[in-house]
Amino acid sequence: MKKSSFPLIRNRKAMVGALIVAFILAVAIAAPLLTSYDPSARVGRPHQAPSWEHWLGTTRIGQDVFARLLYGARTSLAVGFGAGLLITAVGTALGIIAGYRGGKVDEVISFFTNMVLVVPNLPLLLVLAAFIGQASPWVIALILGCTSWAWGARVTRAETLSVKQKDYVKSAEMMGEPRWRIMTFEIFPNLISIVGINFIGSVIFAIITQATLEFLGLGDPKVVSWGTMLYGAQKASALSVGAWWDILTPCFALAFLGIGLSLLNFAVDEIANPRLRTGNRLGRWSALIRSGEGRL
Amino acid sequence: MTAPLLSVRNLTIDYIGEADDFRAVDNVSFDVAPGEVFGLAGESGCGKSTIAFAISRLHKPPALIRKESAILLDGRNVLDLDQKGLADFRWREVAMVFQSAMNSLNPVLRIEQQFYDVLKTHKGMSRAAARDRTAEMLKLVDIAPDRMRDYPHQFSGGMRQRIVIAICLALDPRLIVMDEPTTALDVVVQREILQRINELRRKLGFAVLFITHDLGLMVQFCDRIGIMLGGKLVEQGTADAIYRTPEHDYTKKLWASFPSLHGGVLR
Amino acid sequence: MAFLLRRLCFYLAAFVAAATINFFLPRLMPGDPVQIMFSSAGAELPPESLQALKLTFGFVDGPLWQQYLTYLGSIFSGDLGRSIKYFPLPVTTVLGNALIWTVGLMGTATLVSFALGTFLGILAAWRRGSLFDVIVSVGAIFATSVPAVVTSLIVVFTFGFTLGWFPTGYAADPALDPAFSLEYLGSVAYHGILPMLTLCAVLTGGFAVTMRNNMINLLGEDYIVMARAKGLSDTRVMLWYAARNALLPTVSSLAIAIGTVLGGSLVTEVVFNYPGLGNILYQAILARDYPVIQGQLLIMTATMLIANFIVDVSYVLLDPRLKRA
Repeated sequence: MKKSSFPLIRNRKAMVGALIVAFILAVAIAAPLLTSYDPSARVGRPHQAPSWEHWLGTTRIGQDVFARLLYGARTSLAVGFGAGLLITAVGTALGIIAGYRGGKVDEVISFFTNMVLVVPNLPLLLVLAAFIGQASPWVIALILGCTSWAWGARVTRAETLSVKQKDYVKSAEMMGEPRWRIMTFEIFPNLISIVGINFIGSVIFAIITQATLEFLGLGDPKVVSWGTMLYGAQKASALSVGAWWDILTPCFALAFLGIGLSLLNFAVDEIANPRLRTGNRLGRWSALIRSGEGRL
Repeated sequence: MTAPLLSVRNLTIDYIGEADDFRAVDNVSFDVAPGEVFGLAGESGCGKSTIAFAISRLHKPPALIRKESAILLDGRNVLDLDQKGLADFRWREVAMVFQSAMNSLNPVLRIEQQFYDVLKTHKGMSRAAARDRTAEMLKLVDIAPDRMRDYPHQFSGGMRQRIVIAICLALDPRLIVMDEPTTALDVVVQREILQRINELRRKLGFAVLFITHDLGLMVQFCDRIGIMLGGKLVEQGTADAIYRTPEHDYTKKLWASFPSLHGGVLR
Repeated sequence: MAFLLRRLCFYLAAFVAAATINFFLPRLMPGDPVQIMFSSAGAELPPESLQALKLTFGFVDGPLWQQYLTYLGSIFSGDLGRSIKYFPLPVTTVLGNALIWTVGLMGTATLVSFALGTFLGILAAWRRGSLFDVIVSVGAIFATSVPAVVTSLIVVFTFGFTLGWFPTGYAADPALDPAFSLEYLGSVAYHGILPMLTLCAVLTGGFAVTMRNNMINLLGEDYIVMARAKGLSDTRVMLWYAARNALLPTVSSLAIAIGTVLGGSLVTEVVFNYPGLGNILYQAILARDYPVIQGQLLIMTATMLIANFIVDVSYVLLDPRLKRA
């Protein structure tokens, strides 16, 4: 069997992860084709169990859970990727600047970064969201972007410090290339794998945190997202009244998406850092040992 | 001619990849007599460290020692030893000094603990007896015995290398393999250490397999030398012969690349 | 020692930063900050009490810096104001009682997860490429990619509602009076099992992967090879040479993990109706009880900083290279 030379395809975890994420994306985009119900409208009796009419039952207010699942995917994905992008952009920029410029600039940025790192994330977000009131998903994405970049910045800075020493950077400096050009075109391209891992991690974080904030009631309940589905179900005491479909649907959706993204992330990490690979690449070696061709 | 202490016969070591293999050591054979200093010279990647690791069987997959190879210590094939035999053999018969002394010592254990674990494992010594032996060994390498409760980072590079040598001698091995033991140290310290090793060798009678890329150093320090190129042993002989009458092209090239001390023209 | 002192100063600065955020938030929102802060007070609050509250939070007449200093002064003298929802209880009392439950739950869960996760990580690294390694690594992915919210809900659904093995809420049987009796403590333990299980599920994976990766990163080091060359047993090399060194960066990561624990336990408490800080905060948000909301940011930040400091001290004790510094 000819193995593809593209590393992402060769890695099974990456394949599975990518498939999962692609599937969810496709389903989200195709939402209107897959269901005729309006996710916010009351279309059935309250807390109906799954049936032919309503594949995943209805919520307390009679909304179709399946429709909410599909349309909710759009919001959760959009905020997740949007906030993830913002977090990564801020973190990467600050990390590269701090790592490359060094000196006072580095000290200030690092101090600031460490400070943000050490203030607990969720409590801070809660206070912010509480003051803002009912935060629309975009506001949530924005505040996530503004508060959660610190870890990425730290990691990026560390990588920048080692890339800074490389020859092509030194030669660009000597040729008089302006600093911003060096950072953008010499340093950044070599941090791609770190930035990639950072990005996927940030997306996972954003999706989880958005769902958590909405679950706690800080989101806009009129918006349809997996987090608000959790909030609605919890308020309706879905578990106590036995309406498991109401609460478990968004649960499994979030878990499924999280697992897909994490597999992708793990795979990118393994490609960037081959030492961390799991699984056996020693097929040929083991065969030779077994046949007595050699030993250790 | 006395029976050799170490006899490497047809040693072939491959690194097994997913599609093809890399032959690191190609049918290498040489002997080391008891108490002798045998040097293996060659540039990086020629396979000399691979041989060093193989003697104590320290390789991990995907390294593979081919079946026709034999490494005989006092007649016993090291490659045939079982787990227990191997654990016994290691350090007792063959000890090893690695290149970066900065890293050979466990940073979180005290020096005395790094002696104790070897003495306890192989000789079942009590802590008190181990402490005595440790003091004895440290004195041999000119390190104050009352420093045995210090940590490795509290010593200089040269001192750390000497401590490693002391640990090597703790069980009175027959052979010490030294893989570029002084390359990371400055020239003066280098000379001191090598002189020390020579004295100890004369006193205690162990043989040395000395691995380096520095041919000039080797010629002064070794009794016999082997030259390695691309995994093959291309020339073998006494230090004198290698120095005065090199036969193989590569050996000649190695000598030619040395700048002359008297300012002669580089050929 | 200098290292620890520097860390202490840093933590102090971070605490002041959190207080600063608290100070500016109501003032940055559109509208009258006083109105916003005490909007939930309504008519029940007597005017003198409202005045006292305003003073605590720095809403005094004068320039901004004076207001700021007044606020800092209140905080550092232990006055976090009074809760509006539970008036006239001081915020410190409201949060203090809850803090005990949260620290108990969080602390135990963190310790158990750290021990278990580290142990699994060591074995996974040592048996790299084996089925055990794959199970641990992939299992960890699953555990850490699922939000704590989801894990808590699934746990409470499965073990609490469906199987009925464990209670689904509260810290102890509400019929019992709190006491140091075996009955009460037993009830506490019984009620604590599901939240603990949830938190451990959330945390263990992360520690396992961190330890595994740290171990693998140093398995090529010379001192590991020398340890093997010394003929030491596999176990000894794994524990005393590899794990003992890999523990250092893992302990560092513990500091970061505490932030995650705080977030995770917050949600878990809400799902299990556990009377910890998370639940109090949740109720406060519903009631827009801003003094409590702001107070909890400070308490949680302080908890995080103290926990971080404990980790710093542990790191110094574990790494001989730092002991003498």
